[in-house]
Amino acid sequence: MIGFLRAIVIWAVVGAVAYFILRIYARSLRREALEKEWDAAPQGDTEAREAFIDKGMADYEGSLRNRLLVIIFVLPFIAIAVLLYLVNYA
Amino acid sequence: MRYVKWAIWLTIVLTVGLFLHYTLPQHDVVRVVGTYQERQDLTDWTRIFWSSPDDQSGTLTNRDVQFIQTIQTDGDPMVYRNEDTGWFWPPYFKFDTARLQTEADDLRSTAEAPKWAVVTHYGWRNELISIFPNAVGIRAAEGPDVTIIPWFNIFFFAFLLILAVLVRKMWLQFRERMVDPALADAGEAWDSVEAKAASARKEARGFFGRIGAWLNTWRAKK
Repeated sequence: MIGFLRAIVIWAVVGAVAYFILRIYARSLRREALEKEWDAAPQGDTEAREAFIDKGMADYEGSLRNRLLVIIFVLPFIAIAVLLYLVNYA
Repeated sequence: MRYVKWAIWLTIVLTVGLFLHYTLPQHDVVRVVGTYQERQDLTDWTRIFWSSPDDQSGTLTNRDVQFIQTIQTDGDPMVYRNEDTGWFWPPYFKFDTARLQTEADDLRSTAEAPKWAVVTHYGWRNELISIFPNAVGIRAAEGPDVTIIPWFNIFFFAFLLILAVLVRKMWLQFRERMVDPALADAGEAWDSVEAKAASARKEARGFFGRIGAWLNTWRAKK
């Protein structure tokens, strides 16, 4: 039982770390894309650029793609469940 | 220096390779001839090759281990241990030792009327230090020359490759967005430091130069 709890904690930590790193990475990609989009056709000064990027990032935070990243956190547990089934019952 | 670099790389590749070779599942086509149970000491260094099931006390000095005796297609014997792996490492999450032993017993056959089976296992057999691969699954096979596709390993290495590419892309993105701008800033800061240092040096040269010139006035004229 202790082993089971330990496994849950360890994989939860691994999943959480993977999730946050991927979140930062995806956010960085989005910001870069927004910057490039603005720089390709600038419609104002540096302040307008900041505002454009901030708005784009705010939209991104609420997007489905950003929310779906939570799946990463669940992946280790799905893998464990599948392995448990395949090894012991299939 | 080049040899040192090569040695380090060789060590890394060898370690990772051996680790994966030990841990990843492999398949053998065998004929089960029997099963037995034997008390094993857990006090010497080969302890690392026996598994640590969840329901076992950590201070145990010996315990019974189940074994599956088989003959391979080339006639060589192979003995597997049959142990739970528990929840941690290697991550097989195997808890069906008793079931596996029953299935193995069911597939038992003689050389005259062989029943072939595919054993999935991980680990190594070494007679010198008495270590055994751990069987994690057994199923009946049509014949001794059945083709086995290692699906798990295919998926595992595909996943590893995707992970490596992803980590590399992440690192490049991090460098492009965080490290390079910081370095550029540091470079500018460094340039200004160097400029200051250069002017300071000039001044110092002037100062010490003046002292030197003054000292020189005390020297005997040649």
